[in-house]
Amino acid sequence: MWLVLPLLGLIIGAYLGSAVTFQLPAVYLKYMSIAVLASLDSVFGGIKAILEEKFDGTILLTGFFSNALLAALLTYLGDRLGVDLYYAAIFAFGVRLFHNLATIRHYCLLSFRKKRSMRQEYDGMRHGEYDE
Amino acid sequence: MNKPRWYLPITIVFLFLGIMLSLQFQAQTRYANDLTLQKTENLIAMVRGLSEKRQKLALEIIDLSNQLRSQLESSQDEQKLLESIQLETEKLEIVNGTVEHKGPGITVTIEDYMPIYYTDILNILNELWNAGAEAISINEHRVTSHTTISSVKINLNTERNPLSEDFYMPYITVNHRVVEYPIVMKAIGDPNNLEKALTFPGGIMDKLALFDTYPVITKMEELIIPADQSSHIHFFVSEYKPEEEEASKNNADSKKENNAKNTNAKNTNAKDSNTLRLEKTRTKLIPINPNKKP
Repeated sequence: MWLVLPLLGLIIGAYLGSAVTFQLPAVYLKYMSIAVLASLDSVFGGIKAILEEKFDGTILLTGFFSNALLAALLTYLGDRLGVDLYYAAIFAFGVRLFHNLATIRHYCLLSFRKKRSMRQEYDGMRHGEYDE
Repeated sequence: MNKPRWYLPITIVFLFLGIMLSLQFQAQTRYANDLTLQKTENLIAMVRGLSEKRQKLALEIIDLSNQLRSQLESSQDEQKLLESIQLETEKLEIVNGTVEHKGPGITVTIEDYMPIYYTDILNILNELWNAGAEAISINEHRVTSHTTISSVKINLNTERNPLSEDFYMPYITVNHRVVEYPIVMKAIGDPNNLEKALTFPGGIMDKLALFDTYPVITKMEELIIPADQSSHIHFFVSEYKPEEEEASKNNADSKKENNAKNTNAKNTNAKDSNTLRLEKTRTKLIPINPNKKP
């Protein structure tokens, strides 16, 4: 039920992004891609936190923006210094992203199984087949 | 239902994520389509394809421009034709007297006391036509190919003695209307030519002078000759088809249907009907009023 509104936010955001005539210069494409990766990581981290029931809105918001900015800045710095920090950022965020996704999947599966076993327990109790 | 506390931050985050993703998608798509990033082979193939397309288009341009030229030429030809037809129409209108005509010319005035006969008028007209007159009128009667010039003996003056010889005076008529004196003939054309045509030695003026007739010739800068007012009846020959012909045709048709296989019989039938038509064809004169426009 509450998933609808974040999805709506995503769609509205996508529409806004496509409606805006501003075109990203090709030079900043690299930084933008890293920022997007960092943002995705933050979002999945947030979802994981919700599932783990340790969610904090402030941490998510600050993490979202600071991660994106820092990732872009670090990539820029790497470019200036001649070190490919780009790949480091991709690696770090990629690993975290997959880790987050795995955890989300894990929690989803766990909760699903929990619900099913509970339902089975409940059904068994109702039909008197539950032996204790 | 209680509002979860993650609702607002997640929505905000998703909103910004959406903006960033769509921007990135756009930029990436543009970047991927950039020519500088394409492979050399692809670029070569692209150049080849595009140059072929360009050649084809150039050929098409040549083809279409040729077409355009031919069309323009044909339209010019048509325009020329139209112009010449219009000129001809104007000429014919002047000749037929359907329009008013203006221009320099001469007037020939014949007074009451001058003895004249209608053939003299005809002679003068012919001389004028020969001298290149464009339009002639006699007392506001436009002279055309239909104009009748004749004379009639009538009594216009009732004071004369009915027993006298000159009780019935010959009057000149144009289009069956009596022309009153002075008879003024207007002719449009080169005034000098027209005058010379009438006054050359041994010409019409000299002949008329034998009868003490001296028509007055005046050169005019501007003459107006009115359009033909008289109504003419044109006679056209049209084919007259009697009703029996239709009947015979119907007969032949029914015969054809009956003897569909017998082609010889059909031919003879057709011949019969043909001869029949030729025999039965009559001509009838149907008067048509040209002034009545359909």
